[in-house]
Amino acid sequence: MAIVERPLALPEGDLPEIENPLGAFSRPHKETGIKDWLTTVDHKKIGIMYGTASIFFMMIGGVAALLIRIQLATPDSNFLSADAYNQLYTMHGTVMIFLVVMPIGAAFANYLLPLQVGARDVAFPRINAFSFWCFFLGGLMLNTSWFLGGGPDGGWFNYAPNNGVAYSPSNGIDFWNVGLLITGIASLSGAINLITTVLNMRAPGMDLMKMPIFVWMTLVTQFLLLFAIPIITTAQVLLLMDRLFGANFFNVEQGADPLLWQHLFWIFGHPEVYLMILPAFGIVSEVIPAFARKPIFGYPFMVFSGVAIGFMGFGVWAHHMFVPGMGPLSVSAFAVATMFIAVPTGVKILNWVATLWGGKLILNTAMLFSIGLITQFTVGGLSGVSHALAPSDTQQTDTYYIVAHFHYVLFGGALFGFMAGFYFWWPKAFGYILNEAWGKWNFWVMVVGFNLTFGPMHILGLQGMPRRIHTYDAAMGFNLWNLVATIGSMILAVGVLLFVVNALVSLRDWKNAGRPNPGPDPWDARTIEWSIQSPAPEHNFDYDPQIVSVDDWWYQKYAEDETGRLRKVAHGADIAQPGNGEGVHLPAPSYWPILLAASLPLLGYGLIFSLWLTIPGGFLLVVSMFGWALEPADDLDLAHDHDDHDDHDDHDDQDDHESIVETASAEDTALVGDAPSPGDTA
Amino acid sequence: MTTATAGVSVADSHDGNEAHRTSLNLSNMKVAMWLFLASECLLFGALISTYLLSKARFLTELLAGNPIVEASIDNPGLVREMQETGSVEPLFDIPFTSFSSFVLLMSSLAMVLAHKAVSEADYKNTRIWLATTALLGSIFIAGQIYEFTAFKEEGLSFTGSLLGSAFYTLTGFHGVHVSIGILMLLTLLVLSFKGKLNQDRAETVELVGLYWHFVDIVWVLIFTIVYLIP
Amino acid sequence: MSDTAVKASADVVDDAHDSHAHPTETQYWLVFLILAVITAFEVLWSYLGLSGPLLVVPLLAMMVVKFVIVAGVFMHLWFDMKMLNGKLFTLAFASGIVIALSVYTVVVATYEFNV
Repeated sequence: MAIVERPLALPEGDLPEIENPLGAFSRPHKETGIKDWLTTVDHKKIGIMYGTASIFFMMIGGVAALLIRIQLATPDSNFLSADAYNQLYTMHGTVMIFLVVMPIGAAFANYLLPLQVGARDVAFPRINAFSFWCFFLGGLMLNTSWFLGGGPDGGWFNYAPNNGVAYSPSNGIDFWNVGLLITGIASLSGAINLITTVLNMRAPGMDLMKMPIFVWMTLVTQFLLLFAIPIITTAQVLLLMDRLFGANFFNVEQGADPLLWQHLFWIFGHPEVYLMILPAFGIVSEVIPAFARKPIFGYPFMVFSGVAIGFMGFGVWAHHMFVPGMGPLSVSAFAVATMFIAVPTGVKILNWVATLWGGKLILNTAMLFSIGLITQFTVGGLSGVSHALAPSDTQQTDTYYIVAHFHYVLFGGALFGFMAGFYFWWPKAFGYILNEAWGKWNFWVMVVGFNLTFGPMHILGLQGMPRRIHTYDAAMGFNLWNLVATIGSMILAVGVLLFVVNALVSLRDWKNAGRPNPGPDPWDARTIEWSIQSPAPEHNFDYDPQIVSVDDWWYQKYAEDETGRLRKVAHGADIAQPGNGEGVHLPAPSYWPILLAASLPLLGYGLIFSLWLTIPGGFLLVVSMFGWALEPADDLDLAHDHDDHDDHDDHDDQDDHESIVETASAEDTALVGDAPSPGDTA
Repeated sequence: MTTATAGVSVADSHDGNEAHRTSLNLSNMKVAMWLFLASECLLFGALISTYLLSKARFLTELLAGNPIVEASIDNPGLVREMQETGSVEPLFDIPFTSFSSFVLLMSSLAMVLAHKAVSEADYKNTRIWLATTALLGSIFIAGQIYEFTAFKEEGLSFTGSLLGSAFYTLTGFHGVHVSIGILMLLTLLVLSFKGKLNQDRAETVELVGLYWHFVDIVWVLIFTIVYLIP
Repeated sequence: MSDTAVKASADVVDDAHDSHAHPTETQYWLVFLILAVITAFEVLWSYLGLSGPLLVVPLLAMMVVKFVIVAGVFMHLWFDMKMLNGKLFTLAFASGIVIALSVYTVVVATYEFNV
């Protein structure tokens, strides 16, 4: 079909009166301001909102971490009560995992996936907005527990039977349940959305084995979410039934086995670990080739090791459970599986190092953070392999050795990777480059602070210092390294803040310099998101990029001469798409995603406090679902200039439960029986 | 405007973000629905294994004569029967549940016939079969409500015992899925009567059908695992 | 999944109108009858008073057969299999089932046999 000639979507100014879905609202039209952010369905804005919200939650989780470190700086400290300490470490873990690391991965996925596969948006833009608002509002709801009777206090894993009402009578764990159920909905709908986008909306010529590594890693991540989230959902529903409705799933008195919780939690929990690190792996796999000036070493190995990590991630959960007691066969099997999963991870490390080897390295901040990931993740990976040895793990379980391990992989790994991604893609998202001098300070302060904080925890753990205990005796010999760790954590906090400072300073300098445009391709990079202007125009691509090879953009700029040497044949700025969106039609913004998402915390408060409260929540839920379903995915007044617009069966933007009602949006549907037989004989 | 121009190909139909091409030439909705169903496998798998483990733990304690567990079923006769047979079978009414299972299977047939009818532009039969599907689904739900009431009277309560919690949660989750399916079918029916469910939207019926058959499949599992192998 | 195959089949596959490959109404009724008969056998088997593997294995086998028939015929997987979309859907759905089956079997096994 020919490209439809149409005005750009989201126009401003005088518009014809449009049909108001349910008569409640007129369709939002603004391009700027708060209303635009609340109603946008643009994957780039949603990605930026994911990132911003994550950094907001990171402040909360970070303050909790600092309070914990202050408490542990000295022996026999009374800075925090045991109860407050329990709430702080539980919320620190929960917030950092579910509201920081996972959504930063989602931020990069949202922003970059459509750009890297050459699509105009994700497959279901409104569901994308819904996912974000579910995450954000669910996260906020979880954090209101601080003010409504105290936070959850059973650890981020909330083992049974400690998570029962008898041992945790406050509402904290109910908030944990409901809040994470809501963010789970966000992850699941996001996963379905992004997988569909990658599978079905790639640019012409982009075969699966020509996709950027970041797209591959995110695809694996989303599949992990798709299969892992329903498991934690089930576990949380069981716990919710126990706590709020008096069921007996974890009631030992009635014969229940609390180990069931650990199984369900870790069948989710271990894939969770990989879905947190894989996006960061994807990011550094983009950054390192760009600044080593070489293609990634062993592209197929990178892809298949990622897929292997994904599959094997579902086969190792019980290594979290060597201590609670399983039979010897189970322990051996899971120990072996855990050792095996180090292989694909090792393949990745090797390939990054081999990419660096012999490259013309440009050691800017993004590259430094990537190298930081490789080194620090390797440390964390090695201590991880030591957990695979069941006897050794029995010694390490519940000590600070474990804390050191997972901070090396999650902070030193995932978060350093995300920092590399921020520095790398910042100009694409915001149109200015982050300051390198501040960036180097940012990196080095973080590296020093990070290793001072978590390095000593290896020693503390092997000395036997237990996790989750709010204080320790002066005579136990933990004093020195705890103090070092606390000092390190302060330095680390300064390091993280330097990033925020850098973003602001760079913005100021950029404005003072008259807002120079960094150009479409400031790094002379490799993938097609650099073939469009910076910041990325609202419609992404003026025309479909035609993909010929992996790193397609690079090979548009470089070609071999007669002697077989790569020569630059074109400048990125000259051959980039000009950013002319004329004739492009974009999905229209909508109120319904945020309203539908807002109904869920209301229902949650109802479950926790009084079922009467579920009435407004339920009302909002039903109204927004029907409003959503009756609202066409596209603006009607914009749509009407094109005839066969609404008469197809694959509307892009419907929840599966609502898809059926969406058909009502066909304004000009022919009467039943009117339809001549379409191309049924194809 | 008629729908005559509509059936060119799904690949060039409009979906708001330039779906003039889709890499696999598939409809986004159908991919999404299958992904959702794949995810549901894990959900029901977790619920079924929770039921199996809880039932096993319940029976172990009951056969060992744990007084708290014995008292958790408010019916000494039933408890004795369970202890004698060493299973939870005395609780179930197999002929009744078999009838329910048959009804749900029947509804799956009606569902495919509805899809067949709409894709052949046979709108009268579309409505007949959609209504039949929804009706059979409702009979199933009515049966479930009856069964729950009967079990409650027999002494198995949700809060009382581990077995009750596990049984009602598993079958209740399935019942909620059936109910959502019925709502979707009724919406389709309304659309069909309004003339908005024509041949070009056969895929919408197919998607609801996929969901409906999946729910049926889950019941096939539950029927065998929960009822026939007690 | 080979992407060259994707390209090759993209021309012939037309997802929206693949219904011509689907069974006829009579065939659907026939399949339903088969399912009903299997269900009857299942109930019958459970009334024979058998126990242990003799009870469980045939029942599970019949369950799997019913599962495959519903997924294959009613959900069209058998007919779509020859086409790309069927392969993709089958792959997605099958990976869900395989992961579910393996992890939950292991969980149940660690309990039942305490291995």
